[in-house]
Amino acid sequence: MPREALLVRTMVELADTLVDDYDVVDLLTHLADRCVEVLDVSAAGLMLARPGGGDLHVVASSSDAMRVLELFELQAEEGPCPDCYRTGEPVLNEDLATVDGRWPRFAPLALEAGFRSVHALPMRLRGQTIGALNLFRAAEGGLDEADVLAAQALADVATIAILQQRAVVEAKVLNEQLGQALNTRVVIEQAKGVLAERANLDMEQSFTRLRAHARNHNVRLADVAQSVIDGTLPTGSLDPLPPPR
Amino acid sequence: MVVDRRLRILSELNKASGRATGTLCEVGAKVTKMSGAGIMLMSGDVPRGSVCTTNEVSALIEELQYALGEGPCVDAYNADRPVLEPDLAHPSEPRWPAFTEPVLEAGALAVFGFPLRVGAVRLGALNFNCDRSGPLTEDQHADALVMADVAAQAVLAMQAGAPPGELAAELEAGADFRYVVHQASGMVAAQLGVTVGVALIRLRAYAFANDRPLNQVAEDVVARRLRFDGHEDRDGRT
Repeated sequence: MPREALLVRTMVELADTLVDDYDVVDLLTHLADRCVEVLDVSAAGLMLARPGGGDLHVVASSSDAMRVLELFELQAEEGPCPDCYRTGEPVLNEDLATVDGRWPRFAPLALEAGFRSVHALPMRLRGQTIGALNLFRAAEGGLDEADVLAAQALADVATIAILQQRAVVEAKVLNEQLGQALNTRVVIEQAKGVLAERANLDMEQSFTRLRAHARNHNVRLADVAQSVIDGTLPTGSLDPLPPPR
Repeated sequence: MVVDRRLRILSELNKASGRATGTLCEVGAKVTKMSGAGIMLMSGDVPRGSVCTTNEVSALIEELQYALGEGPCVDAYNADRPVLEPDLAHPSEPRWPAFTEPVLEAGALAVFGFPLRVGAVRLGALNFNCDRSGPLTEDQHADALVMADVAAQAVLAMQAGAPPGELAAELEAGADFRYVVHQASGMVAAQLGVTVGVALIRLRAYAFANDRPLNQVAEDVVARRLRFDGHEDRDGRT
């Protein structure tokens, strides 16, 4: 298949995946594999910084070979990805035989692994850089302009996938908190009712008594409420209503 | 264009003043040209309460769904897709047996439910009602989808500011989470020596049998005008 067709197919696949609920690591691994096919490189990997910044970590690689994984590992300290991540600019066609001053540990190790050139493209959206797409080439010659455009397009898709997934995770956490807050309120209202009936109080007095007990014993109001409802805290064991101020 | 619709809705929200949640419902009804709108939060397949309603009809629609567990919001949430009933008096498929009649009587001839979701996260549903029967136009449908999207994100953004374990004050203001129903469940549980879950079922059954709103029955229990002691039956007011 010609490269353009491969690229289009990859983009369509990714677009289809993005509208569904997807596993981000699966998607990125698939993307790394496609990079190797589409861009005529020998290995590809995606390195990400944690939200808020910090060192880069590899999240997907087209190869499980130890020698390749070591190259990613090392880039927590030096290499094309941290350079690209720091500046937000691509690192292209670096000939590993001549760059050892720039990356004194990374370059010899990459050469030893059989690679001739290395590239990194920023994963960036609206001024925020979250990581880099790393490409290794064993054959002679570099990436041409069309390769670079295609590589950046793939890096952009990966970026959108990751940011979208982060937004979904955040929404999940918030929704759980919302559900929990609603539940807690229900339990407290129910406990007010139980106590109001048993101790012949109005709702406000009930609430004051539950809250006073929670404060005196340094337990959460929601836990006191649950114990009143399930009967493990009988009305007689609840601290009495504090005198009105 | 979705972007145009979103911008228009955001600019309407920006122009409006007043409570954040109330504005969501009002702008929702305005951009879709509906008679009323309401936002219902749900969790675990159960309506948890109404965040906002624009008028008495939409308040009734939410009240009935809360009490009966059926209606466009409940279905839209459970099915995770829009639920459209353009002609409530002559529905294409029979549904919502208890919900339909009082809603028609109140003057809503069409009801529409749109799920509130962010990604795979489901929060509840947005409902619209119209005093005329007839399907949504393509434009109205598209606006409703975008409005539901904006509302879902707004609800989560509001909750993001809340202390852990608590409901955001913005969400609570003007909301109706039926606290009186839960207070009454607690009282009835103590009166009958049953769990609060069973007590709620008894309250619902009583309200249904006496053709009264659940809220009113609960208020009677809390005000001690009604006791559940096994003899309350059909008109058990004591």
